[in-house]
Amino acid sequence: MNERVALAYKQQPRKWIANIALAIIILFFVAISFTGSTINWYRLANFSQSFNTMIRGIVDINWAFFFGIDGFQFSEGIVYKTLETLAMAFLGTMIGAVLALPFGFLAAVNVVGKKWAKVSEALLVLIRVFPEIILAIILIKGFGMTPLTGVLTIGIHSIGMLGKLFAEAIDNMDRSSLEALDSVGASTWQKILYGIIPNIMPDLTSVSLYRFDINVRSASILGIIGAGGIGAPLLIAANNWSWNMLGTVLLAIILMVLAVDFISSYLRNKLV
Amino acid sequence: MAHPFNLSSGKSVRIPFNRTIVVFVIIALLTIGFSFFIPVKWHLIRIDQLWVIFSRLFTPSHSRTWGDYFSFMLTLGDPLLATLQMSLAGTVIGCVLAVPVAVLAARNIFKSKIISIPVKLLMNLVRTIPTMILAILATFFVGLGILSGIIAIAIFSFGIMAKMLYEAIETVDMGPFEALESTGANKIVAFQHAVVSQIAPIFISYTIYIFEINIRASAVLGYVGAGGIGAVIKNNILYNYDRVGATIIVMLVVILIVQFTSNYIRRKLQ
Repeated sequence: MNERVALAYKQQPRKWIANIALAIIILFFVAISFTGSTINWYRLANFSQSFNTMIRGIVDINWAFFFGIDGFQFSEGIVYKTLETLAMAFLGTMIGAVLALPFGFLAAVNVVGKKWAKVSEALLVLIRVFPEIILAIILIKGFGMTPLTGVLTIGIHSIGMLGKLFAEAIDNMDRSSLEALDSVGASTWQKILYGIIPNIMPDLTSVSLYRFDINVRSASILGIIGAGGIGAPLLIAANNWSWNMLGTVLLAIILMVLAVDFISSYLRNKLV
Repeated sequence: MAHPFNLSSGKSVRIPFNRTIVVFVIIALLTIGFSFFIPVKWHLIRIDQLWVIFSRLFTPSHSRTWGDYFSFMLTLGDPLLATLQMSLAGTVIGCVLAVPVAVLAARNIFKSKIISIPVKLLMNLVRTIPTMILAILATFFVGLGILSGIIAIAIFSFGIMAKMLYEAIETVDMGPFEALESTGANKIVAFQHAVVSQIAPIFISYTIYIFEINIRASAVLGYVGAGGIGAVIKNNILYNYDRVGATIIVMLVVILIVQFTSNYIRRKLQ
């Protein structure tokens, strides 16, 4: 018995050789990736000192700037900017969800068939991979440097992911209630209203909440190119290395993201 | 609405309260409230400019020909390589560093809350900071260039991977682990043979997925001085729209190739 075990152990494929080879290849590529990177040695030599200054500055929150009082206009304060960021993310998600609904139906195999679903899916992939910042740069030309541009950017960009997940929700829908409605002679509108919408609504809401989560993060960087939100003060503070301003903005972003994360996952757990 | 009505069997039925209306009212109120923060300035809106910018992005400018347009794409090799370098090194370093942290945070491996709660808090904090800001902070310490991009991407990848991986470890089937322990194997050996073998494919699949995200992110990291394709876009955005357009096309092609390859590999892994 023991011999058989030993034999089987000996004959098992030597996967570890391949694994080590793969690891070495990857390490090699990672090492290559560092070529061409330059280090400012002067700055690195002062690392501990500059790190100290940075942390001390970041912890020193500028509350007047935070609330927009004492010499700061309220509309320049971080609280206002945070609310603006949330507004951009929320309205953007709403627009995205509404626009994604027709795409969801057009990309669902059991609604339009395999061929057309593939075509719509390809379009959705294209929307998904188009970098948000580039989209914002284009839209700024048409809508100006206002939060509205941010809302539209987020809305359009969200279509890609929401459309795909909506299509999946529609594809996985339970069709028995549709048949039941059919058998009692419901009209098409009644079938959509009572058969399809209640069926897919929890899925759609959950997916949209998840996307809202992502959009809050992207709304907070769109300001970097002037599309509204907290990104503008964030970029100014970071570029000027004015650490207490940066700390103030970061505090707001961290609180906002954690709160949205918590609320969205709580609501999603309730939905499922 | 809520009045009961009687069935022919004599049973009285109450129509259940419909929560959809409440949800819609809340959404409507939020929409109205938030719209106050998004003023629509009609005098700034020039929809026709969108077509102008599109044609300026995707056709050569007056002084250049289509030949210039496409030959410019060929000069993008170096920044493209820089972008790939940043993503690759950052992803691998961040994902590998995330492994011990994810193990520490997983409640089924370490039972005590003393370790897992601070670790989870740290992970959540790291994930809230936007990659661009990480890159700017990195330039403060190592100067402008690829390295700051690598650091930013590594920290970002670390945050996502640590979270996804600890969730994966927590849902692992602990049966083999207990079986090995019962045969007298110590915890490290049991972990190595029971948990690692279940986690390894998931880890690789996540790493590829994060690489895919990072390619997209690093494309714009150049905007804050981290080099790569983003820097080309930033340098040309004021005067040479056709160059920006050509760069966008190249970037999209690369992102699509990475996306399809990654999808293919991940499907094979499952």
